[in-house]
Amino acid sequence: MPPDVPTTGNERLDKVTGRAVFASDITVPGMAHGRILRSPLPHAKIVKMDCTAALALEGVVAILSGEDLADLAQPYWGLYFNDRPVIAHEKVRYVGEPVALVVAETPAVAQAALDRIDIDYTPLPFIDNAGDAIAPDAPRLHGNLEAIADFYFKGQARPVSGTNIYQLYAISTGDTAAAEAEAARVFEHTYTFPGIAHYAMEPHCVTAAFEGDRLTVWSGAQSPTAVQKVLSRVFGLAYANVQVIVPHIGGGFGGKASVKIDPLVAAASWKAGRPVRVALTQEEAMLTCRRLGASITLTTAVDANGIILSKRAAILLDGGAYADTGPAVTVKAANRVIGPYAIKNLEIESRAAYTNTVPGSAFRSIGGPQAVWATESQMDEIAAALEIDPVDFRHRNLLPRGGKVLDSLRPLDADISEMMGHAGQAITSMGDRPAAGVAVAATDPGVLPLGGALVRLLADGSVLVMANSADIGQGVRDVLRNVAAKTLNQDPAAIRVAGPDTATTPFDWGTGASRSTVIIGLAVEDAAQDAREQLLALAASALEIPLDGVQLVPGGVATGSETIPFDRLFHTAFGIDSGEIVGRAMVTPSRKGSDFATSPLFWETAVGACDIALDEDTGALAVTRFAGVADIGHAINPAGAEGQEEGAAIQGLGHALYEHLAFIDGQPVNATPIGYRIPAAGDVPHAARTVLIENADGPGPMGAKGMGEGGLLPVAPAIANALARRYGIRLRDLPMTPEKIWRALRERDSDVP
Amino acid sequence: MTASLDLTFTLNGDAKTARVAPNTLLIDFLREACQLRGTKRSCDMQICGACTVLVDDRPVSSCTTLAADIDGAVVTTIEGLGGPDGLDPVQQAFLDHNALQCGFCTPGFILSVKALLHANPAPSHEEIVEHLNGNLCRCTGYHKIIDAVESLVRP
Repeated sequence: MPPDVPTTGNERLDKVTGRAVFASDITVPGMAHGRILRSPLPHAKIVKMDCTAALALEGVVAILSGEDLADLAQPYWGLYFNDRPVIAHEKVRYVGEPVALVVAETPAVAQAALDRIDIDYTPLPFIDNAGDAIAPDAPRLHGNLEAIADFYFKGQARPVSGTNIYQLYAISTGDTAAAEAEAARVFEHTYTFPGIAHYAMEPHCVTAAFEGDRLTVWSGAQSPTAVQKVLSRVFGLAYANVQVIVPHIGGGFGGKASVKIDPLVAAASWKAGRPVRVALTQEEAMLTCRRLGASITLTTAVDANGIILSKRAAILLDGGAYADTGPAVTVKAANRVIGPYAIKNLEIESRAAYTNTVPGSAFRSIGGPQAVWATESQMDEIAAALEIDPVDFRHRNLLPRGGKVLDSLRPLDADISEMMGHAGQAITSMGDRPAAGVAVAATDPGVLPLGGALVRLLADGSVLVMANSADIGQGVRDVLRNVAAKTLNQDPAAIRVAGPDTATTPFDWGTGASRSTVIIGLAVEDAAQDAREQLLALAASALEIPLDGVQLVPGGVATGSETIPFDRLFHTAFGIDSGEIVGRAMVTPSRKGSDFATSPLFWETAVGACDIALDEDTGALAVTRFAGVADIGHAINPAGAEGQEEGAAIQGLGHALYEHLAFIDGQPVNATPIGYRIPAAGDVPHAARTVLIENADGPGPMGAKGMGEGGLLPVAPAIANALARRYGIRLRDLPMTPEKIWRALRERDSDVP
Repeated sequence: MTASLDLTFTLNGDAKTARVAPNTLLIDFLREACQLRGTKRSCDMQICGACTVLVDDRPVSSCTTLAADIDGAVVTTIEGLGGPDGLDPVQQAFLDHNALQCGFCTPGFILSVKALLHANPAPSHEEIVEHLNGNLCRCTGYHKIIDAVESLVRP
């Protein structure tokens, strides 16, 4: 019998008992509290700011404003352009932009002081939608900015000089004009997609503490090393002097990826000379970032047999006031609008423009939901016009496994046709009728293969896995625990996965793009393998036996019939019963045994199928059955994988039916939890099924692929396709609210000849 | 505001007294004065249920309740349910059914379910779903939460 191994507890237990410490639960001795004064205007010059009365309020410690920026090493920051001031400087570019941050002894005093700041603006002409932003005489939000290359994502943005367009990305293959000339039919439709709030249940919260030239930040950050990098630039600090610690995070979905309020809060601490905590309200979180809205026009040519000859796409994204990661969203929207189809002739132009609205940013499958909404809606429109069954129409055009979406991309590593079959079966297993609406997706996750891990085997047999991969609820800690347990042949209960901390844990690019299972999973596997080899060598040497006579068993090493616990092994080897083995690994683009030269490292695929019920008197729609299918290679954490698919699908339901962060005259009109509706328990499909396809053919540990984003993609087009098929109405503008459905029904009935 | 109120109440099984300012919110009283941080702040306007606590076995949004209103009441927060070595059946059901992801909404959901089962030990499926409408979760898609509650009612 192996010896007893101490258990480490686990974070799921902490979460159900209320003991899990989230970013907003952090307190630091001497901490003060910050509240933010925000711009009420979409675009304006700040002509006067007088903080005298606010500073005079008892309990106010300091006020940060644009005047302080001159003393910072780099007052403007960004991921593709340094376009964003740490706090508004001389002008504001959207309603909600921070213009002053009051630091006080209590949140209430800080809040009260906001009303005492005397600030005057001169309004400037503004633009609150991307169409206006690209008009020739549109007011400009920014001057000509220098693109930063390879700073966060690989590559750089290609802005159009003299315009608001901060990114222009094009794909051109073959000859679309010739294809359209010889086509039997050419279809052109425009689909629109609104800005959408992330609505993580925990609004952004950051606590920052400057001590001399050292800065410590506790942040609910998905990308702690990106936060570290930007903070080091803003304050002129060495990376080693910027420590980013990530407690539990109450939801991310991309809204806490790259860098958000961290520079602002750190600057407040720098100004105040005190640790400062800033906890946004949910309303403020909705003014911090959002998914980019889009308008997508597709022109698709088909021959008489229903084969797609060519596709043109004009994608225009509403980027908001600062670029953030919008340039990457622009690229991905272009790649993702193609779909898993064999199309020889492509002409895609994808642009993102600055507007005086909440900054656009990464959100679960960047550019994916916008692109798939358009493409999969049009697939059904074309099928209907050609009087071909929509599933059959897809079959005629689908790429086989190994087919290429683009020559520059890795061949498709999934069988979408087979996945459609599974979706259809799952739907009929839950009810009599076949699916009313189907949609498919294949997206290319922007996975940067750069990230490390330490696996520390401690003397009592417990194991610490250290990686900067943030658990935002997707279950990455369970994935890493399982990988380490399997590689080291230890009980998972003996393994603790530590939270991200840039001071103690190796670099990782960040948590997003479905990359952690593959990249950090491999890093942990490699580090555990390194620890394993060291342990076996140590045992062979200390016990004076051949290397092949010793093996790892739970809690120790075994030599034939005898099991030697780790503390006894260390005692024999080191003279005391202490010490540890440190396994380490860094996954890089040139990792041995991996093919990381081609992008994407794997395809994230999804099929969704649904049936719906509609109250034609009110336009109220319910999804009665939903099936989601994903090819994920291998589920290292099966419960987590299924949960990711289900949760993504319900986020997709929100995108489809309810969610729209709306602006009228530049003013956000529903950026509150009352005005903005996300799905609740009563909204979910009455019956739902998730099918995970596991062929162990992914690049990650045990053949895993990344996952977690794809399930969102097919939902909106599948519902729209169901509405068209069952009720004869075609909606091309999200969300599909009861009012829009009702109006479409009225229009349908008035069209009767 | 210098006036203050003296409260006598029961918190997680212990008799307590406290002096609070009349405008103190229950969420702030619990999180700051009592250092019970399992009660989570999210919407601040009684929409999301993350701050749910039990007052006399009824679910209450502590973000929009005055601390003064718990005078004489029995208050239960997530910390008042089972600890790691003796989970409440609702906590265990959430674990068993993987009814949590990020976990931020989880204390509120668990207490909300406690209140449901206290008032109605055998709710129908529709009653469960209707009750859970008062709590928002952005991660799970709700199916596993509903399954967890169903497992307690119809094992």
